[in-house]
Amino acid sequence: MFGSRKDRRAAPPRGLWSPRSLKALQANIIKSGPAAMVSYTLIGAIVLLGGIGYAIDEWRGTSPWFLLGGLLLGLIVGFYELAKALWRS
Amino acid sequence: MQTETPVQEHAAEAAAEAFNAGAVIIEHVANSPIDHPLIHLPTIAGIDFSVTKHVFMLWVVAALVFVVVTTSVRRYLRQDPFVPSGFMNALEAIVVFLRDNVVRPSVGDRWTPTWMPLVLTLFVFILTANAIGLIPIFEVLGLLNHWVFHAGEESFLARLLHGGSTATSNFNVTAALALITFFAIIVAGSKAHGVVQHWKNLVPPGVSPFLAVALIPIEILGMLVRPFALTMRLAANMTGGHIAILAILSFVFIFAEMAGAFVGLGVGVAFAVPLAVGITALEIIIVLVQAYVFTLLTAVFIGMAIHAHH
Repeated sequence: MFGSRKDRRAAPPRGLWSPRSLKALQANIIKSGPAAMVSYTLIGAIVLLGGIGYAIDEWRGTSPWFLLGGLLLGLIVGFYELAKALWRS
Repeated sequence: MQTETPVQEHAAEAAAEAFNAGAVIIEHVANSPIDHPLIHLPTIAGIDFSVTKHVFMLWVVAALVFVVVTTSVRRYLRQDPFVPSGFMNALEAIVVFLRDNVVRPSVGDRWTPTWMPLVLTLFVFILTANAIGLIPIFEVLGLLNHWVFHAGEESFLARLLHGGSTATSNFNVTAALALITFFAIIVAGSKAHGVVQHWKNLVPPGVSPFLAVALIPIEILGMLVRPFALTMRLAANMTGGHIAILAILSFVFIFAEMAGAFVGLGVGVAFAVPLAVGITALEIIIVLVQAYVFTLLTAVFIGMAIHAHH
């Protein structure tokens, strides 16, 4: 009814930890590098440049112009990085 | 003239002792105050060098990583058949995984031996700093101090109990780590192409001079944004997880104050503690993933500087 111990040991491992799924995981991780980089850069650019714009507005009392300019610049920088990553791939 | 009655005094005392969830959470997440440092050091050039809790935790992590890794590797190198076992086995698996899946695909075969030590050091250091925050060392020390040691308020032990223990939840720490990445990117590009060519590589080839003038500031801003994204992501993730766990656990005390101790206990047993256990399990994954993402992004940025325009 059940295979001998030797038979069971010889069977290739299946499921999450099989060599095939680990290889697929590795391939996905390698591919995810640039995508992770671009997504963080897009958000980081908008937050950083928008934040700098907001700080200048608070300091000089020019609300909301530097905030808007910073957000726009953040969008430009973020999407430029996104476009570059897409061209690369 | 005494204006407060005993009842009013009692109410004022109760209000003063009322559970303040926000203050408790901040106390467990933020750095210890600089005016009550762990070790007093002089102020040089306007910078107070006194050691706070997060700096102390950085030292603990650095010492722990140095001692554990050095002893395991030395023992491994001394043994006759080069077959790793125990902790060395896990360490070797991490090294091989990072080399084959993170560094080599990003920077290429030629530059892997150059940049592997930096990426590996960042990974092990960040992972240990993240993970040490999940171990309630100082909470246990606090209990021991309360019941056994009774150390005075000004003692080193009592000062050690203030502030959070996750150094990587401090934006200054992650900013310093991201600064290392920032300079590593410049050094990698300069080593691969020469200093002048590295900066010329900022503008894609074949772009007209008019467009290049517009692209240079965008590229420089992009260069500055990358370490900022690294800084915010790691610190925010580490702080957020701890705040979530503490906020859920604080329900026990909030409900105990509102509706009595038994209701508080009921909320704790039925809701707060199981959920906090679940989020702690999630935190263990986040601890690993955040250390991994930081090193992956470092390797990708270094690789981009080396393989510019490919």
